[in-house]
Amino acid sequence: MGSVGHSNSELITAREAGLIACRRCGQVHAGDATTCARCHGALRSRDSMSLQKVWAWLLAGIIAFIPANLYPMLVTRTLIESSESTILGGVVELIHYDNYGIALVVFVASILIPIGKFIAIIYLAISVQTRSVLNMHQRHKLYEVVEFIGRWSMIDVFVVAILSALVQLNTIASINPGIAALSFALSVIFTMFSAQSFDPRLIWDADRTAA
Amino acid sequence: MTDTPPPAPMDIQPGRSGFFRQMSIVWLVPLIALAVSLGVAWQNYANQGTEIEIQFENASGIAAEETEVKYRDVTVGRVEKVAFAEGLKEVLVTVRIDNEIAPYLDQDAEFWVVRPDVSVRGISGLDTVLSGVYIEGNWNDDPDFQQYEFVGLEEPPLTRAGQNGTEIILRTKDGSSLTTGAPVLHKGIQVGYLETPRLSANGNSVTATAFIEAPFDRRITTNTRFWDTSGFSVSFGTGGISLDVSSIASLIEGGIAFDTVVSGGDPVRDGDNFDLFDSEESARTSLINNPDLPQLEVAVMFDGSVNGLASGSEVRFRGLRVGTVAELNAVTVEDRVFGPSVQLRTVLAIEPGRMGLSSEATPEDALDLIADLVRTNNLRARLVTGNILSGSLNVELFEEPEAERAFVDLAAKPYPIIPTTTNVITDVADEAQGVLARINALPIEDLMNGAVDLMDSIEQVVRSEGVSQAPDEIVALLQDTRNIVGSDDVQAIPEELRAIVTQLNSIVEEAGNADLVTRIGGLVDSTSSVVATIDTATQNLPTLTTEIEALVAKANALELAALVTETNETLNIIETFMATEALNAAPEALVGLVDDARALIANDDLQAMPGDLRRVVGEIDTILGTLNEADLATQLSEAITSANNAAASVEAATSGLPAITAQLDELATKANTLDFEGLVKETTDTLAAINTLVAADATQDLPASLSSALDELSLFLGEVREGGAIENVNAALASAADAARAIEDAASSLPALSSRASALVSRTDAVIQSYGDRSRFSAETLSTLRDIQEAADAVSALARAIQRNPSSLLTGR
Repeated sequence: MGSVGHSNSELITAREAGLIACRRCGQVHAGDATTCARCHGALRSRDSMSLQKVWAWLLAGIIAFIPANLYPMLVTRTLIESSESTILGGVVELIHYDNYGIALVVFVASILIPIGKFIAIIYLAISVQTRSVLNMHQRHKLYEVVEFIGRWSMIDVFVVAILSALVQLNTIASINPGIAALSFALSVIFTMFSAQSFDPRLIWDADRTAA
Repeated sequence: MTDTPPPAPMDIQPGRSGFFRQMSIVWLVPLIALAVSLGVAWQNYANQGTEIEIQFENASGIAAEETEVKYRDVTVGRVEKVAFAEGLKEVLVTVRIDNEIAPYLDQDAEFWVVRPDVSVRGISGLDTVLSGVYIEGNWNDDPDFQQYEFVGLEEPPLTRAGQNGTEIILRTKDGSSLTTGAPVLHKGIQVGYLETPRLSANGNSVTATAFIEAPFDRRITTNTRFWDTSGFSVSFGTGGISLDVSSIASLIEGGIAFDTVVSGGDPVRDGDNFDLFDSEESARTSLINNPDLPQLEVAVMFDGSVNGLASGSEVRFRGLRVGTVAELNAVTVEDRVFGPSVQLRTVLAIEPGRMGLSSEATPEDALDLIADLVRTNNLRARLVTGNILSGSLNVELFEEPEAERAFVDLAAKPYPIIPTTTNVITDVADEAQGVLARINALPIEDLMNGAVDLMDSIEQVVRSEGVSQAPDEIVALLQDTRNIVGSDDVQAIPEELRAIVTQLNSIVEEAGNADLVTRIGGLVDSTSSVVATIDTATQNLPTLTTEIEALVAKANALELAALVTETNETLNIIETFMATEALNAAPEALVGLVDDARALIANDDLQAMPGDLRRVVGEIDTILGTLNEADLATQLSEAITSANNAAASVEAATSGLPAITAQLDELATKANTLDFEGLVKETTDTLAAINTLVAADATQDLPASLSSALDELSLFLGEVREGGAIENVNAALASAADAARAIEDAASSLPALSSRASALVSRTDAVIQSYGDRSRFSAETLSTLRDIQEAADAVSALARAIQRNPSSLLTGR
């Protein structure tokens, strides 16, 4: 959907033209088609449920994000003691040990980015609902960034999974994932679903209506 | 974008109507997530348990969110917070306890911190070295009024709630040997332990709670006594030294043992009080002396020293302990005749029950009994040696058969006084010391020197040439003797002897046929009863022994040292004597003598002697043959019968022996009184005289005379050899042969002789029977004893005579 800096009022949308493009293979069909003739995917001019799905997944992601921060991510058990560390606790601990770099990485990957994603998605959804016409290009960029960056949030979960698998020395030392690890993974997944559910075409629809 | 077909009219569908149709199914996801979250949150809240607070003095090792609370090693809670109580007085530990456990936390719940503990009884809490401390709780299985605030214990309690057993309280004066957890032993097995000892409120005693586990607590009654087995005890009493060591654990941290000797006590309940005794002995003693029963206190006034007697010394009656010495003190006694004097009053505490009276007997009953015994059985108090080594004394109530009549002074204040008798105190130490001192004072070194010098002199004599020649001569002498023995005549003697033996054998066989054995059996029986009588007689021996003991004491007092000195001097003189030249010449004379003897043996006549000897033996053989023919065995049998009768008479006679023993006893007493010391002094003087005599010149000349005498002997032997002495001997042997023949004739008349012997034995029998008359026999014996005594006197006189005229020993009267 190439869009340029011109006034959109000059352009006619596919929808207005009575056409539907398949989102999977790009085949354009007539407006009344429901199935792609080429890839047999479902055709829909606009996803009427998109915003609902976004909100629902987002809510689930936020709910999961709460225990992910309250409960311990890692349970480290050595011969002498057993310690449990939450995400934020781990960051503080790393700073305490002067590992500012790693602390920053953990903080950004585990706290800033998920929260940033929540905020971005909320912003996009609200802006679509209020049919805002501002910064449509930036919003589309934002959507793409959110979609792209989502999968990297799983780094934390992978680290925990690898550590748990490697450090299993029975009684001497062992690392086990805490409840937070599962919650965090769920939160990331839900947020990714949320971002996926967002139909970016809605951003531009506001433009049409406003015109 | 050119030529785009005109867009078809958009068929815009109207939105789905209805709220639910507008809703996406995805909404279920956050709903589920919310439900799950809320569920987990609720679960957490519901499971977080009951909050309780435990007060501790310090929170050493306790960490919030980490330290666990365990009950029987199962985690039932976790410390949530560690904080201070108001005013920083205590540490408040907030603990979350599992909800299902919380109802059991009532008044009996106890909490303490488990830390590693190494003690004699073992190592505990070692796991906490790595895992960190934990709080252990203990409560019974009976949910009661639930509590939320507790005071933690500083030390783990020894008794777990719900543990079966009995808690008793032990009182003692000194708690130095009591430690928390010390074992309580019964017959060496641990059946309980001590809780922490505490000082009583008034500070006079120490009390400690002891927990006795079931079922051993049933062993404890009100009659049980507890005593301290801490470490080891060494006691030195009348029974000698005893060393008691209990278990190693009790050696280090003390221990308590108990025993119930007397049955019939009541069972104990929790919290009953018991006294803790210092030692097993005192505990057992206390059991015997029931302090509740009144004791009879009587006084004894001993003459002389009571050194060795102490308060607590035993009072014995016929060897049985009946009480103790309660106190010893000196009292001044006013006497109208002799003025004031100090007497030692020993107060005896006598237990009526131990005197054989019933347990209800009062001290008055016991006093009556003792007064009766004093009057009728001559009961007296005396001091006896308790322990020879330690010199401790005991008091003995002794029944003296031959004491003067005496009575218990019932009127005496403050205690009735029991009469005394002679004390029996053996002071071994003093006597042994005296003997050793005397031995020490003997001039043994001088004696040894004298002996050494004497040996030197003898060596000189032995080394002289004459002596070294003697062996050769003796060998030659032996050679000659062998020649004689090897002669045919001598060889034939054994044959003859064998014939004699055969004869004898047949005589003995005949004797065996006769009823000899049975008769001898009767004889043995008679002897047996005689022995029994003698046994009765010996019962008087102990008195005799005492007398002999006194005699020994006298012997001890003799002047041995002087005697030894004299002996020593005598030895010196003998030595000088040995060293004289004449004596040295003696061996040579001896050699000459042996030469002569040898020549004598080599004489032909002597060689002929065996032949004669053989003839004599032949004659004897014939005599025996004759004897054999005579009816000797029968006669012998009769004779034995008579002997048997005689033995019976002896038996009757010996019944009078006890009286004799008594006489002997008296004799010993007399012997005791003899002037032995004088005798020894005289002997000593005699030795001195001998000394002088030996030292005299004439004696010094003696060896020379001896030497000349030997020479003369040698000459005499030479004459014998040359003269017809041997022929004379031969003739004598021939006469002997004749004599043997005459005996042979006489033997034929032997039967008559035997019957006469039998008659003689019968008569002896009658005589002995007359001795059976006791009084007469005893009288005879008495007079005999008196003679012996006179003889002893005579010995004494002889000794005195020797003292006056020592030379008579050598020269004769």
